[in-house]
Amino acid sequence: MAWGEEIIQGLKDADCSLIGYVPDGITWRVLRLMEQDPFFHMVPSSREEEAVGIISGAYAAGKRGALFMQSSGFGNCINALATLNIPYRIPIPMFIGMRGGPGEFNMAQIPGARAIPGILDSLGLQYFNLTREDELPKIIKGGIELCYAGRLPVANLLSTLLTGGRDA
Amino acid sequence: MLRVDAIQSVLDRVKDEPIISNLGGTTFHLHNLSEGRDANLYTWGAMGLSSSIGLGVALAAPDKKVIVMDGDGSLLMNLGSLGTIARQDPKNLIHIVWDNHQWAGTGGQPTHTAGVTDLAAVAKGAGIPKVEAVATLEGLEEAFNRAMTEDGPWCIVADVEGGDKPNRPEVSIEENLQRFRRTFGQV
Repeated sequence: MAWGEEIIQGLKDADCSLIGYVPDGITWRVLRLMEQDPFFHMVPSSREEEAVGIISGAYAAGKRGALFMQSSGFGNCINALATLNIPYRIPIPMFIGMRGGPGEFNMAQIPGARAIPGILDSLGLQYFNLTREDELPKIIKGGIELCYAGRLPVANLLSTLLTGGRDA
Repeated sequence: MLRVDAIQSVLDRVKDEPIISNLGGTTFHLHNLSEGRDANLYTWGAMGLSSSIGLGVALAAPDKKVIVMDGDGSLLMNLGSLGTIARQDPKNLIHIVWDNHQWAGTGGQPTHTAGVTDLAAVAKGAGIPKVEAVATLEGLEEAFNRAMTEDGPWCIVADVEGGDKPNRPEVSIEENLQRFRRTFGQV
């Protein structure tokens, strides 16, 4: 699972240690490694927008973090991104385990996941579709740099082509 | 107890501790009572998230007492935050809820706390170790004095009168964040 290790290394290199998340079957493969790693302070949250608030608050006090969620949970974040992160210019690297792609078995996961790029475009937030392991080091490191340089959230969409999907 | 007097009473008991305020009247009052206080972080949106933002500040700055001024309507939107706070157990977090039993900013419609919902009981049930429900200024001051000296996390649910109409201040949101961050040595 090299993609997870690349994410962990990218976060460590950028000193992003406070991790807000609502678990899902894809990102949990990374999160469970981070749970065992004393570098990270893990904040399991009851809802994704709550995690946006927590990591934003930490940034306001000088500590960097990141967010992990499933594509369905992104829908729970939109108001927080629109009314907190964008107007205040609060950067957060986001890692979203995408459902709704090749191999999806649950019809209810498809519409929201398909809408994510359009929503991010409408909000003016940059994102990267992560599909190949050989591109990961540049995109993850560069995406985190971009996030803090632009002082806005940057979303990394973890494609099923990369992760194998939920049941892989 | 008037919310404006309650906020002033908290301001009288802090030095440079960070205060995160809920959108609407609480942000307006806090700004109007302490304009120029760089350790205030005012929210203008993100309804429900002031306790989450405060938790993030508290985790990032464990050596400072961190004060959140929330509202009943907002907390009802993010009750899960109480469980997350309890699980993280930040000793330095003081979460105050100005409970005026109404969505004051939208016309004073009654919230659930105007009926049977008891936010202090919810906080206890979520696992917050120090919970106080207060209905007078003296009660608030006693609870807040303890919260400033004893480990938390604390949740103080303060019954305040509704119907106040604080003036809406002019605030630059980006400048507010930059000033707040400078109190933590950040550029």
